[in-house]
Amino acid sequence: MDQNQRPKTLLDSLGEEIIRILAPVSICMFLVVLLVSILNSNSSTSVTSIATIAYAETSSDSSWDKFVGALLNSLAFVAVVTVVTFILVLLFYLRCTKFLKIYMGFSSFVVLGFMGGEIALIFIEKFSVPIDCITFLVVLFNFAAVGVLAVFMSQMAIFVTQGYLVLIGMLVAYWFTLLPEWTTWVLLVAMALYDLAAVLLPVGPLRLLVELAVSRDEDIPALVYEARPVTHRDSGSGENTVQRRVWRERRNVRQDLEDNLNLNGNVVSDANSSVGTVQSSHNDTRIARVEEGQVSERDAELSAPLIDHRMNGQDGTSAESLVLEGMGLGSSGAIKLGLGDFIFYSVLVGRAAMYDFMAVYACYLAIVAGLGITLMLLAFYQKALPALPVSIALGVLFYFLTRFLLEVFIVQCSLNLVMF
Amino acid sequence: MEASQAPSNATPNPNPNNDFTNNGNSILSSTPVWPTIDGPFGLSEEESLSYARRFYKFGYALLPWLWAVNCFYFWPVLRHSRSFPRIRPYVLRSAVGFTVFSALLSSWALTFAIGGERLFGPIWDQLVMYNVADQLGLTGWS
Repeated sequence: MDQNQRPKTLLDSLGEEIIRILAPVSICMFLVVLLVSILNSNSSTSVTSIATIAYAETSSDSSWDKFVGALLNSLAFVAVVTVVTFILVLLFYLRCTKFLKIYMGFSSFVVLGFMGGEIALIFIEKFSVPIDCITFLVVLFNFAAVGVLAVFMSQMAIFVTQGYLVLIGMLVAYWFTLLPEWTTWVLLVAMALYDLAAVLLPVGPLRLLVELAVSRDEDIPALVYEARPVTHRDSGSGENTVQRRVWRERRNVRQDLEDNLNLNGNVVSDANSSVGTVQSSHNDTRIARVEEGQVSERDAELSAPLIDHRMNGQDGTSAESLVLEGMGLGSSGAIKLGLGDFIFYSVLVGRAAMYDFMAVYACYLAIVAGLGITLMLLAFYQKALPALPVSIALGVLFYFLTRFLLEVFIVQCSLNLVMF
Repeated sequence: MEASQAPSNATPNPNPNNDFTNNGNSILSSTPVWPTIDGPFGLSEEESLSYARRFYKFGYALLPWLWAVNCFYFWPVLRHSRSFPRIRPYVLRSAVGFTVFSALLSSWALTFAIGGERLFGPIWDQLVMYNVADQLGLTGWS
């Protein structure tokens, strides 16, 4: 028998889908680790953002002060995220989808243009790259403009859209690693708990959002990474025409559906829209949401929407992060993961990179394991699930275990030339 | 119109898993079914025309990268010279525009970088990015 007849193994079908979501997450984490290790030679830089309004950490405070300060910061941050998510639910309920989409495009532009520009400037200054301002501006403008189009329009090349989403995640995650250390860790735990509550509780904003979207048969305008669906070589040409309708609902037989489905895409909603100069405030709000692809003809393929937290990262006094996280399934099994998940995973790994690379490996493995567990739960429960809690819990646990137990052990073994 | 081409995809080893070569039929390689690189997940031909045209026109706003994305997206149109006669002019012009613009830009950037102060004199220091950033205080927060 030729290859067409060989039945697909579980590894082929399921493994392919998992790889298609693991690869971009890993790439994002790798890029953040790279940025952190190249650009952060001095750990004295810090940003004022909404995550530090309650307390600005200094190295001279006692541990208890730092912990309480970090707790206050995280609570303030989570409170802001909750409020903004409820505003998003309200706007979605009132069908202000156009506004949300424009806001999303605007936020993407701010992230790509201003944050990306600043990081590029840091890079240029550090390595004294002799680039002139005209070239720099043209390149940056191109990068940001095409990124906005990729995020704004659903009908862009899949690879370009996915690439830009990963880049947006990377940029925001890098900014979050600039927060003080205690604040970052407590914030991660707080966001994981918030994710759990917002997605699973009946009163949680993300759950309301998803239920609204499902009941109206609409897309949530948000930033969501959707893996390319795996095509199954089952039979002949019949599959081609059906598969056309899977990815982002591109082709619908009924044209009226297309009007409802706005760009299947990602909307960035920015809770805080004070746009100042490059220095003072950058608003970055990202709402990562998962949408489900719906096949118009095969109505049994509804997949659970992904719920994401919105995240806004800002440099300045009015920084706010709304991140939508969550995970769900597309109608052909294409997995969707919110951009907030990318961001917080990368923040965890980036923070680990600020300590040591051993911690990076441990945290990476923990996060991937957590993601695998979440995927299994997703396949089992078939509804929207928070993607943060398991991975963040494992990641934080492994970080502290590595830092306080494993490293001492390994270093002593190496020093005494006892190797495994 | 794609439906008439669909049966040809059932030729040996169509390999639809490879999303980047949507025209899996190597025998009839001059007639790809889908104009976009995403294949069945991409656009139909009518939509492709409007998208190609729109990308081409937007590219004139100093966006050569958009032209490059246009060429990338409609790669099957470029590659097979006889297909999609309505889309092809736009994609071709986008490719030409991208090449010309990037040649100009890179020649300017290279002249600036390699020539340095010897070629430009004191104006080099005023144009180079890290000085401009310092002057405007763009990375003052660090």
